[in-house]
Order: sequence, then C-alpha cells, then structure tokens
Amino acid sequence: MSSSPSLVTELPAEALQGSAGLRPRRRRAVTSRGHGPTAGAFLLPNLVLVAVFLLLPLVWAFWLSMQKIGSLGPSQFLGINNYVDIIRDSVFWEALWNTALFTLLTVPVGMAVGLGMAILLNGVLPGRKLIRSIIFLPLVISGVSSGLIGAWMFDQYSGFVNNFLHALGINGPDWQSNGKWAMVSLVLVTLWIRVGFDMIIYLAGLQGVDPEYHDAAMVDGASAWQRFRAITLPLLGPSTFFLLIMNLIYSFQVFDTVYAMTNGGPNYSTTTLVTYAYKVGFDEHGSGELGYAAAIGVVIYLITLVITALNWRLSRNRDLAS
Amino acid sequence: MDLSRRGFLAGSAGAATLLGLSACTSVHSNSGTTDATVKASGSTGAKSSLGPQTGQLTFAFWGGSTGETAGFNYVKQKFEAANPGAKITLKVVPYDGFFAGIDRGIQAGNAPDIFRVDYTTMGKYSSAGALMDLTQYFSSSDIDAFLPALWDAIKYQNIPFGVPHQTDCTAIVYDKDAFASAGITSVPDSLANAWSWDEFSQVATKLRSALPASKFPFAYDWTKAGAYRWLSFLYQAGGSLLTPDLKKSALPSAAGTKALDFTKSFFTNKWVPASNTIKGAKYSDEFFLGKTVPMTFIGDFLVPEIADPKSGYKGNWGVTFMPKDTAAATDLGGNAIVANKATKNPDLAAAFLKFIVSEDSMKYFCEQAIELPTLKSLASSSLSYATAPDAVKVFAQQATTLSQTITTETSVPAFSKINTLLQDQLELAFNGQATAKTLQAIADGVNTSIGS
Repeated sequence: MSSSPSLVTELPAEALQGSAGLRPRRRRAVTSRGHGPTAGAFLLPNLVLVAVFLLLPLVWAFWLSMQKIGSLGPSQFLGINNYVDIIRDSVFWEALWNTALFTLLTVPVGMAVGLGMAILLNGVLPGRKLIRSIIFLPLVISGVSSGLIGAWMFDQYSGFVNNFLHALGINGPDWQSNGKWAMVSLVLVTLWIRVGFDMIIYLAGLQGVDPEYHDAAMVDGASAWQRFRAITLPLLGPSTFFLLIMNLIYSFQVFDTVYAMTNGGPNYSTTTLVTYAYKVGFDEHGSGELGYAAAIGVVIYLITLVITALNWRLSRNRDLAS
Repeated sequence: MDLSRRGFLAGSAGAATLLGLSACTSVHSNSGTTDATVKASGSTGAKSSLGPQTGQLTFAFWGGSTGETAGFNYVKQKFEAANPGAKITLKVVPYDGFFAGIDRGIQAGNAPDIFRVDYTTMGKYSSAGALMDLTQYFSSSDIDAFLPALWDAIKYQNIPFGVPHQTDCTAIVYDKDAFASAGITSVPDSLANAWSWDEFSQVATKLRSALPASKFPFAYDWTKAGAYRWLSFLYQAGGSLLTPDLKKSALPSAAGTKALDFTKSFFTNKWVPASNTIKGAKYSDEFFLGKTVPMTFIGDFLVPEIADPKSGYKGNWGVTFMPKDTAAATDLGGNAIVANKATKNPDLAAAFLKFIVSEDSMKYFCEQAIELPTLKSLASSSLSYATAPDAVKVFAQQATTLSQTITTETSVPAFSKINTLLQDQLELAFNGQATAKTLQAIADGVNTSIGS
C-alpha cells in the first residue's frame, strides 16, 4: 500500500521553524500597496462585528465578574471576592464535577455512535436519506422542546420509557428522584439530540475518503477492520478533531436540556456550570447576583479555552508527526 | 521597548490580579443591601380626586389566561371612554423573561409606564426606587377600602408603591370517587372544621393503603419558585420566618422543626410522588390531571384548567381547605399593578391605577379570571365567577387565613433571594438532609440576604 507524501514532509526544514520564512518581504510590500485598502474594507465589517459582539462582551464579562451587581440599582466593585467565593462554594464544585462527568459520558459515546451510523448510512442502504433525516431531526428542534420531550419520556410515573419497561415486566428506575438516574436520562436525551450532528459531519468526511485506498488495501488482503483502522479512521482525523472541539464546548455549556428536564435536581446532582450561573444571575425569581454569575461564566470560558488549546496542540502535534 | 506577547499577557494578568486584590472589600455578591430610607412624596390623599386625564400610557402584563386578558381589555376601554384624550396601550408579554425585560427597560429608560408585579417580587422594585410613590393619590378612605393585609403588601417603608389588584391562595382539590373508594366519607365544608394535621395524616394514610405503589395520596405546589408555599406549614405550626421587626430570621424554632419534619414525612411515608420535590419537572396540578394523585394543593388561578371540559380533570372533583395546626394559613399569591417612577404622565398613571382597582373593574376582572378581589366590599359579596363558582368560594374563604405576618414577610425586599434559598434547602431536606441542619442553613441564608 502506498501513501501520498504529506505537504509537511515536502517543505524545507527552515519553513517549519517559524512563519517568517513563509512571508517573502517583496510580496508583502506589493500586497499592502495594491490591495491593502480593499482588503481592509472587506475586513472592517467583520472586525467591527467581532469587536462589538465578541470582544467587548468578553471584556465586559470580566469587568462584571469583579462587581456586586443586580438587575436594578448601582454596582459595587468587589475585586476578586466573587472568585474567592467560587473557590469556597461547594455547589460550584459539584456543578463542575457534574459538567465534567456529563462531558465525559456524552462526547466519546456520541462520536462513536455517530461514526457507526455514518458508516452504515454511507453504504447502499434502502431509504438511507429518510433515515439520515430522522436521525438529524432532533438537532433542528429547539433544545428546550427536546428537553420537554425528554422530561415526558423519562417521567418516572407516567413516562413512555417506564411504561415500556413495565410492559416488558421490568420496574423502571427513578429517573427524576434519583440523582444518578437523572444524569443518565440527561445523557441519553443529549445523545439522541447530538448523534445526528456527529453522523452528518462523519458522513461528509467519509465521502472525502478516496475509494482507491480501500481498493488497494483489499488487493493487499486487508480485512474490513484493518481497512477501517488503518485507512478510514486516520483520514477522518479532521472531522474527529472538529467534532471533539464542538462536542466538548457543547457539553461543557449544556443548559437548555438540563433546564427543561431536571432543573438541576434532585438536589444538585444534575446542576451544571451554566445552569448554576443562570440560576444565580438570571432566574427571575432567583437571587439576581449578576456579578457572581459573570465570574462563573469567566471560569467556564477559561476552562473551555484550556480544553480547546490542549486539543489544538495535541492535534497539531499529531499532524506534524504523520 | 521590546515587549514580547508572553510578557505582555503575563503583565496584564498580574496587573489585573493586583488591581483586584487591592480593591478587595468585605462585601460579597450575596451580602444584603442596606436599603435607602424613602420619604413620602407628598401628603396622604392630596391628589386623591383627579379629574379626567389625557395622554398616553403603556401597560405591560404577562399573558395569563383568556379571562385575564378580557379583564384588562375591559378596563382599558372603560378608562379611555371616561377620559377622552387618554390612550392606554396594552403590551402582553410571555411570563418567562417578563421581569428581565422590565429590568432592562428601567436601566435603559424605556420601561412601560405601568406594569404588573407579583407581591413576592414587589419589594425588589420598591426598594430600588424604581416605582412611583402613590401617597398623594390615595386618601385614608381610599386605603380603608382594601383588605389591610393586601394594602400592606404593596407598601415599602410605609409608602404605597402600587395597588393590590387581585390575590390568590392555595387550597385542596380532590377526586370525590377516589376518596369514597378509600373510605374517606367526610371532607371539611367550612374553614372552621378544616382538617387538623393529624386528620390530614389519617386521610393520607387511608389513601396510601388504597392506592397502588405507582400512585400517591397528594401533591403539593412548592415546585420551583413556589418553594415559599412551604411557609404555610410553618405559619400553621405557629411559627414565622422572620422576627417581628423583619430584621432577622426567626428560625430555627420549635414550629420550624415541626413543620419541616411534617413535610419531610410526606416523602418518607410515600404520601407524595418522589419527584414532587422543589426541583421536580412537574407541577402539582399536572400530577392531579395525570391521575398520579387523587388530591392536590393548587392556587385558584388553576381552577379554569381543572374545570376545562376538554383538557381538564376527567372525574368528579371538589375543593376543600388547607389543613391547620395551631393556626390556619395559606400563601400570599396574586399581583399588584405599579407605575414606573420615570413615567412622563404620573397623574394619568395614578388615575389608571385607581381605575383598575375600582369596584366595577376589579369585579369584572376577578369574575373572568377566577381570582380573588382585594377590596373589602367585593371580598364580602358574592361574585358571579365565570367558571366553577362553588370551588372559588372555598378559595375565597381560605384567603381569609392570610395574616399580616404572612403578607409582610412575603413582601420584604429580599424575598426573591430568600425564595431561592428555600428552593435549595428544602430540596436537600426532602432528599434526606437533617432538619436541624436545614433550618440553620435557612436562618443563616435569610440573615445574609436581609443584611443582618
């Protein structure tokens, strides 16, 4: 089996040392003289949007996180008090653990199931367009609606799931009053929502895999598993990386499903970081501590940033190594 | 100066940390606020006789039932007819996000002139100085026309900041056939012979024996923001949440222990569904409509839902009173109507507020919306309710168990924070947290919230 030489290995060593080597001086001068104002004009609307809707709210959130502020009345500067309180807040740590557990349970399983479905639906299967649409459907429904459907399905007294289990002679679990089962119900509904997205991205990735690689491997006597392991999976690397980042962010910031299904209970067993921040800051009948909620938001942002940076670094190393 | 990116970032982070540390105060986000002392804007009733007014007002309320909308439309039309040149624009907004929108409007200076607010949230706005002082517009005789407990609910530091528009309270709705099947033959028909806690326990025990494991004797309406309705048991046991001067928590107390132990027993005895906790996804009326329980505690505003011929309760249902212990008690439900302090037409706004609580307007509204009036004259008369009039009579009698203590404690400015605290602590208690620990945590949280 022959493999195509990668672009990275063809580049001269000095080009890989830093970006300076890729930017000839003369070319930059021509660009700035000829197209600079035009490029700037094209960039400006985007830069303004990014600044107004991304950077400014980000800086503002940092600023709010250092204040005592409600939805009415004046604010008071607290310095780092909100962050000190977060460290001492046992509910925050429980919410962080719940969020990490939820992420751990949803991301790998969702991606594995999505990949399996994509492989099945990539072949010649009768009615595959219909099946794809059905699997993708939960994603286009609003999260709160999906959550409400989930709450109805997992109602421990009159829900579909327990009625179905009862028909089979099985006593269904306490999906709502037992913390562990409540988390399981959230994970199942989230997988139901997200698997369609994973499947679509993997399908697109699979359709970019040149069938000639598989033909060559078959000629060499590779089994189906060997072809999947040595050809399909590596070539789906960019799709996997993209899905990993998107799913990690999604799971880490889950809100609507939890809000509609369990409201963070029983006790705090399904409270996640975002639902906690919402409850502290924005619940209309809550305590209205916007500064504290902003501080939790900043912590979520920093954790997400670290996860993304780690992923990015690991992925880049993998690409360079290949 | 040659400054690397890493150096710049590290320097910025360090500077921000130092800045934060240097400004560190002993105040925290959950600390209570010292509310500013307010003074009445004029003498009582100086402008109580307003002539016809002109101008425009916007009145925002959350979309309630069809009956409520009909009631507000009636008031608008009557007021505009009585005040040529006045125009009221009604803004019906979904309940979710209603107060967030009001808050943003107040901050941005474009909040509606008039809006509806529930009594438990009222203190947040009056203590923040966001509402119009109505001292001048209501004479002593105007004030005397209202039920005292409800007039107290719209006051902050003895100044009226709104009008009590209607009230509602909790009572019991039950399935008559299920009761008969369980051998329960007698149900209280007057407030005087309402069940004691012991009698109520016997009823629940009989129902428990007669029902399969997947069904439960009753459900309680303390879900989510309804957590404060647990306080009804505290008041029934003779306790209170706050000291009489409203400066500190009155918990822990013997009455608190009794009330919490009694309500925790609902779960250990399997009298309520295990998911009928504070953070449960289902409300008490849904358990009843789905026939998971044959008895439920609900507010009268849900009577139209239960009585609806199509989607309502399929069965023979009746209404009875909340149980009582050393006292009878229910919860303060209902809403006030308030005017934004920044309104450009204060006299017109006051005239509209007075009109909306006039006898004719209130009677029509309550009859359509199946809610209880706040005027003494209407509370003592028989209203022609559009739905289930006999059921509403029970709620009207139950509403008389609303004491001044309940009203004043439920409308303190920090009540929103206290309600959040109750949600968290009661959820833990119903899932096994010790009574003493729960009451102490509530007491500590209440004291922090009210700044004592």
